[in-house]
Amino acid sequence: MVGNKTLQLGDTYQNTWGEPFTVRQLRYYIHRLSYTDDKGINYTTSEAYYLVDEADSSSKIIYLPAPAGALISIRFTLGVDSIDNTSGAQAGALDPVKGMFWTWNSGYIFAKLEGRSDSSHAPGHYMSYHVGGFKPSQNALREIKLAATPGSSTTSMTVIQADVLAWFHGAHRIAISQSPVCHEPGATALQLADNYSAMFTLAPAL
Amino acid sequence: MKACLIIITLAIVIGSWAAIGDKAPTPLPFVTPRGWPAPVYDFKHNPLTKEGFELGRKLFYDGRLSRDGNFSCAGCHQQFGAFATYDHPLSHGYNNTLTSRNAPALQNLAWQKELMWDGSIHSLDQQPLIPLTAPNEMAETTGNILRKLNADTGYKRLFRAAFGEGAISIARMNRALSQFMVMLVSSNSKYDRVMRGEDSFILPEQLGHAIFNSKCAGCHAAPFFTDFSYRNTGMPSDNSIPDMGRMKVTGRAGDSLKFRVPSLRNVAVSFPYGHDGRFFSLAEVFEHYRKKLVAGPQTDSLVRHTIALSNFEIGQLTAFLYTLTDTGFLKNPAFAPPGYEITPAFIHQH
Repeated sequence: MVGNKTLQLGDTYQNTWGEPFTVRQLRYYIHRLSYTDDKGINYTTSEAYYLVDEADSSSKIIYLPAPAGALISIRFTLGVDSIDNTSGAQAGALDPVKGMFWTWNSGYIFAKLEGRSDSSHAPGHYMSYHVGGFKPSQNALREIKLAATPGSSTTSMTVIQADVLAWFHGAHRIAISQSPVCHEPGATALQLADNYSAMFTLAPAL
Repeated sequence: MKACLIIITLAIVIGSWAAIGDKAPTPLPFVTPRGWPAPVYDFKHNPLTKEGFELGRKLFYDGRLSRDGNFSCAGCHQQFGAFATYDHPLSHGYNNTLTSRNAPALQNLAWQKELMWDGSIHSLDQQPLIPLTAPNEMAETTGNILRKLNADTGYKRLFRAAFGEGAISIARMNRALSQFMVMLVSSNSKYDRVMRGEDSFILPEQLGHAIFNSKCAGCHAAPFFTDFSYRNTGMPSDNSIPDMGRMKVTGRAGDSLKFRVPSLRNVAVSFPYGHDGRFFSLAEVFEHYRKKLVAGPQTDSLVRHTIALSNFEIGQLTAFLYTLTDTGFLKNPAFAPPGYEITPAFIHQH
């Protein structure tokens, strides 16, 4: 989503600060997904990583066993655990050919938002946010917990919406004119991680 | 008294020689693939050794060569992307900067006389100084690099093993990096196997090969899939990236917006394409050549009237270009970061 509109790659939107931008790529890792129902049962999934890629509709649907009761909450980790950052070449969702790998020192990119913006002073007017970092002072892993409100879900299908605009506001002000690029672990990455960790909402039931 | 001094000096020389004498570096053979021309790299000046190659590999993957420790050579030259930057249009540098160009693939460098998109560097041994010191790349000074290398006893040992006694120097570092880089030879793609009679093309690859020879090989000549020339291919300059290409090197207006013809080996994994990475897919490149290019006075005669390509031909060409992917090269554990040499079972070792 972009605010209340459905994100279309290549279309131009405006962020919170009135800056125009297009999105070419939006990808992020989800890990350690679990959910609870109103009977108090907690469901955990395998240790699998899911790479959500805006350009790949199949990556945006995750099939899991339905809870026995009504869904109360969903939790997941956004990012890649430190152990998996340092374990060498990996397969599946963590295969480096997914374009989410930095180096053997800085590890995986946890989440990526790329596009262009006339407000960007970077070469090519690129807007490029790559967020990661697993070392103690640079830890960009974020735990997400979404609570269901009455009528927000059904047992068969739960829709989680992610709002791209959250990358630019929330805990920290990220303006494209000031910070068009983030390509390494550190302060900007941590601010972006704080911001986008609030991008998810449970959508109303279909 | 004088004789006594000489004897002592001799003893010291003999002593230090004995300490390293039994560990002379092991020569590393450089193999020219069958049918390829002789390499242009000067191996006499920098003889390949196992120790020199291993030192070069360690340096290539060491982020400490950059100012903040985050940017190794491999940061922008990733093995799984044929040592180009996978999926990134412009290279990333120190302090969240972008360069103005796409990091080229590093392969078959022993046959390349000039380096960089504009050919501004004439020696592989000199090239590393550019990214090491550029403020929007690794942003480090040679003095700091030497200080960091000298503070590491492991490096002291490795330099001594590769080059013998004497101080760690930038020249030795560059020679070690060259030894690693010239060994990055990609010559075992399906295309190569077919040419050697060990494999055969499926029909689309075969048709694509014929189309390639008639419409693309004028610039992308085998076996390197580049003729190493500089050409203006009708890519209008981007006002946010001032880059006149070869003209900056030669000072000749006739070289305006000319860039080196890139090799197409491993092209399927070295996207985005173009000197500034403006084409994210092969489809965009084909669209450029058949429709979108903007011919200027310096645009190459081979492309200035666009290249006629049907959708069918694009399909066949794509199939052919995928045969230039050399999996053994992309996953060769000898080129992986030290400590991460995991040999996938499917690699056929020669």
